[in-house]
Amino acid sequence: MRGRRLAWLLVPGLVLLLAGFLIPSVIMIFAPPETAAAEVFARLGQMLTDPYDLAIIGRTLGLGLIVTIACVVLGFPTAYLLARSNSRWSGVLLAIAIFPLLLSSVVRTFGWLVVLGSQGALAQALVALGVVSEAPQLLYTPLAIVLGLLQLFLPLAIVACYSALAQVDASLDDAARGLGAGRARTFWTIVVPLSWPGVVVAATLVFAGSVTAYTTPYLLGGSRQRMLSTQLYTYSSTTIDWAAASSIAMVMTVLVFAVSAISSLIGRKARVE
Amino acid sequence: MRSRRPVVASLAVLGYVVMIVPLVFIVITAFTSGSTLRFPPEGWSLRWFSEALAYKPFMTSLVSSLQLAVLSAVFALLLGVPVALAIHRGRLPGRSLLEGLFLSPLIVPELVVGLALYQQFMIGLNLDNLSTLLIGHTVLMFPYAVRVTGASLALMDPAVEDAARGLGASPLRTFFTVTLPLLRPGLFSAGLLSFITSFNNVPLSLLLQSRDFRTLPVTMLDYVQQNYTPIVASTSVLILAGTVVIAIIAERTVGFAKIFGGINT
Repeated sequence: MRGRRLAWLLVPGLVLLLAGFLIPSVIMIFAPPETAAAEVFARLGQMLTDPYDLAIIGRTLGLGLIVTIACVVLGFPTAYLLARSNSRWSGVLLAIAIFPLLLSSVVRTFGWLVVLGSQGALAQALVALGVVSEAPQLLYTPLAIVLGLLQLFLPLAIVACYSALAQVDASLDDAARGLGAGRARTFWTIVVPLSWPGVVVAATLVFAGSVTAYTTPYLLGGSRQRMLSTQLYTYSSTTIDWAAASSIAMVMTVLVFAVSAISSLIGRKARVE
Repeated sequence: MRSRRPVVASLAVLGYVVMIVPLVFIVITAFTSGSTLRFPPEGWSLRWFSEALAYKPFMTSLVSSLQLAVLSAVFALLLGVPVALAIHRGRLPGRSLLEGLFLSPLIVPELVVGLALYQQFMIGLNLDNLSTLLIGHTVLMFPYAVRVTGASLALMDPAVEDAARGLGASPLRTFFTVTLPLLRPGLFSAGLLSFITSFNNVPLSLLLQSRDFRTLPVTMLDYVQQNYTPIVASTSVLILAGTVVIAIIAERTVGFAKIFGGINT
């Protein structure tokens, strides 16, 4: 059953990958329909100097960064408690943290429309409490996008951190405590450095997901808070500007590849040390 | 636990609030008797559930979504299992490079893949959108099939297969009577993961939609943009219920945290 003869089993998969993914992607970037490659690069150059386009790139990067930091800050402690707790509830809590990964992003994001809408729970509560006199504009703001993306990617961050933390021997914590280190010192000098690769994985997944997500910026940011993804869809379905759509696709792909490369570099360095 | 680690515990509580509270509000709103998403609801009724079940565009696209998810999960397994076998059992040069190549659809943004398929297949080759969607979803599910069944293969002792071969079984017979049965949990996990991922997909399904065939998430997204009725809330609750059923099935078989979180508990 073993040996090089098995190589032919790769053929159907390779055909699918080449014809259904790699070749179309390369053609799209360098030669979209009725457009010369030169036009795409001209449009890309324009995009990287035009203030409007730069604002969209900046917003996408900025919100992506905020969501990434928020996901790590909330996700790591959650994973730490789940991994170190002996309570019988920890299994249930872990399941609750994983469950959103199965649930449609449309459903999850729709919840924020109910919470943040002008007739929604938060606005009504703020009015009722007398904090504001009329319902504030919460939807279609950067805050709405951050909340939506945070909800979307937090489970991913928790799972990535949990997997790393579960591999760290809990008795090391006890050893540090036994040698007289306080809780905070144990956390920062033992727990965090040993599970660092998990944090890097979590941050990479969240950032790459945030800068390419469509549903959340579309529903919670609308046309007021354009991001790369919603702009790409507008160019390819409403205005049919293939050069612009391809330029955005290129920017997005480069962003995601760069982040993956940086994170694998950090991961490798962490392993060497 | 809470009293001894106040900072860590409050961050965790905040995390759960962000993940869960919006879902709670969807459920509450779905049972309103009013006709807006106003909170608190004006009264209670099951009205929006019957409206959702009677709303043709949602029900038609639900069937489309289910068809697409089942077909692409099956195709991904049919193409992915041979690849996993070749990678883990064949003595091939550049094994990790090959594996990376087959996992590459996970890295490229889905919108980019969708746009590429839309341009090359639907516009360039005039292919219908169902076929294009099938290709796209299969490409997207493919890495799951290769990785999850590959992980099962890596855990399996190759000596079992060698024993079957030594006893005179043909390679094909060895595969169907030894490898495949041992692989069943991996196949089930990969299939379920692919099904869920395809069913929930928005970027590909959005770019590759047509009037005759669109998926439920895309139809809902379109509806939300134009209307502000609780019908999306009740539909969301129905999807939520269906997802809970799948989670329970997963837990009763291979293990929920293992399939969807890659965590062995």
